[in-house]
Amino acid sequence: MKVFFEQYFDFHIMGEHFGEVFEAFLQNLLIFFVAAIIALIWGLVLALFRQAPGKKFIPIRVLTIAYIDVLRAVPLLIIILMISGGVPFLDFLPKDIRIPHWLGKPDPFWYGVAALVFVYGAYMAEVYRAGIEAVPSGQMEAARSLGMSHLQAMRHIIVPQAVTKVPAPMLNELISLLKDTTLVSVIAFGESVLVSREILAEQLNSSALVLTAAFFLVICLPGARLVDYLIKRNQGKMSRGAHIEVA
Amino acid sequence: MPEPMVQLKGVRKRFGNLEVLKGVDLDVGKGEVICILGPSGSGKSTLLRCVNLLAPPEDGEIFLEGQDICKGPGSGTGEQSWNLDFVRQRVGMVFQQFNLFPHKSVLANVTLAPQQVLGKSKKEAEEKGRALLERVGLGDRLGQYPETLSGGQQQRVAIARALAMEPHVMLFDEVTSALDPELVKEVLDTMRELAEEGMTMLVVTHEIGFAREVGDQVVFMDGGVVVEQGEPKQVLDNPQEERTQKFLGLVLER
Repeated sequence: MKVFFEQYFDFHIMGEHFGEVFEAFLQNLLIFFVAAIIALIWGLVLALFRQAPGKKFIPIRVLTIAYIDVLRAVPLLIIILMISGGVPFLDFLPKDIRIPHWLGKPDPFWYGVAALVFVYGAYMAEVYRAGIEAVPSGQMEAARSLGMSHLQAMRHIIVPQAVTKVPAPMLNELISLLKDTTLVSVIAFGESVLVSREILAEQLNSSALVLTAAFFLVICLPGARLVDYLIKRNQGKMSRGAHIEVA
Repeated sequence: MPEPMVQLKGVRKRFGNLEVLKGVDLDVGKGEVICILGPSGSGKSTLLRCVNLLAPPEDGEIFLEGQDICKGPGSGTGEQSWNLDFVRQRVGMVFQQFNLFPHKSVLANVTLAPQQVLGKSKKEAEEKGRALLERVGLGDRLGQYPETLSGGQQQRVAIARALAMEPHVMLFDEVTSALDPELVKEVLDTMRELAEEGMTMLVVTHEIGFAREVGDQVVFMDGGVVVEQGEPKQVLDNPQEERTQKFLGLVLER
């Protein structure tokens, strides 16, 4: 038992490397925030493409559905490796895009952000879509009968109502996104898992990894509770009849 | 005979394999109130949705103020047609389920489309919106949200919202069917006033009393066709067709 605790809960090692691991964890948070903001917008754009009306937009709908299905079916790790391993050699792209060093961040950071945005944009598009489909069809009919275009109706009537229905499932996606930022360690970006693996290799001790796990717990556990709370609150609203006119 | 406002010629509409309208002809003169009766599934609501192209017909012609709205230049029927704006700005619609925008205040429900579609200024749209809500008896509810209103009040807001676009024709799709009985009258009164002011109205309804009193013509539909049509007295008191007699018998028995 002693061996077990020394391997995973050596407080001496944790204390010694606390600052280092914490700083690396801040890098995870930074990837998360940048990727989350872009993915939340990209996901909405995809959801709107998917709902574009009429024959004219069939190609856009088909392409969007294909994108969403494929990106959700392929492992994120493969996407990360494909981007970081391939994009630098696409010499028809400008150098700033092949090897990005924007805002003083190294290229692995941006490859990681790009991969997370591509994949989580697809997941979030499905969340938005569920929200859009939960708005009664009479809302679109009413807006169109008043002369609004499809886009005006989406912007003023459908999307504002749809986003009030998605916080709980969206928060689930965000929690996954935060955890998946650790995958960027495979392309040598110095985030918390990479740093704690180096410590593991040096000291043959897993305590730094446990410390990293603890950081994620501190953020994600309250998040999971918040999801439950939001779902309960939403159900409460339904049963009080605040969501009128389901027909 | 007043000048024609809406004319339907051989209008057909199908949803998948189900043919809902099997060739409907109808003439509506300016200022006329046409009440459409019929059992559920007879195609009444679909007919209204054809007139404002929410459900563009597959076949037939619809003229609005003399313009063929089903055929635009170069493209087939309905959504692709350039007539969509022409139609939606001339034809207002009120729905059974009100379909008010729940995230907007009463006043914003009425002023949104005039600002977005007609390009009116906020001030202009709000002046008009206030006047319309005043007229339907809801001038004191401007800042409230739809869910705080009764069904009858919501439906009157929906009427004001449609009127804010200054339509030439109003479509009413069973607008009192979702209301508690004691709230029906306030909505019918509003519609009656509108008729007296000379609005052209197509009213799908089960309110026989309203049809008799306000309707210039009564149309009885069944199975996707117009079975009988004429002045209210004639159709309601002395129906010629067996299907009309049967339906009225069932409705009036209640």
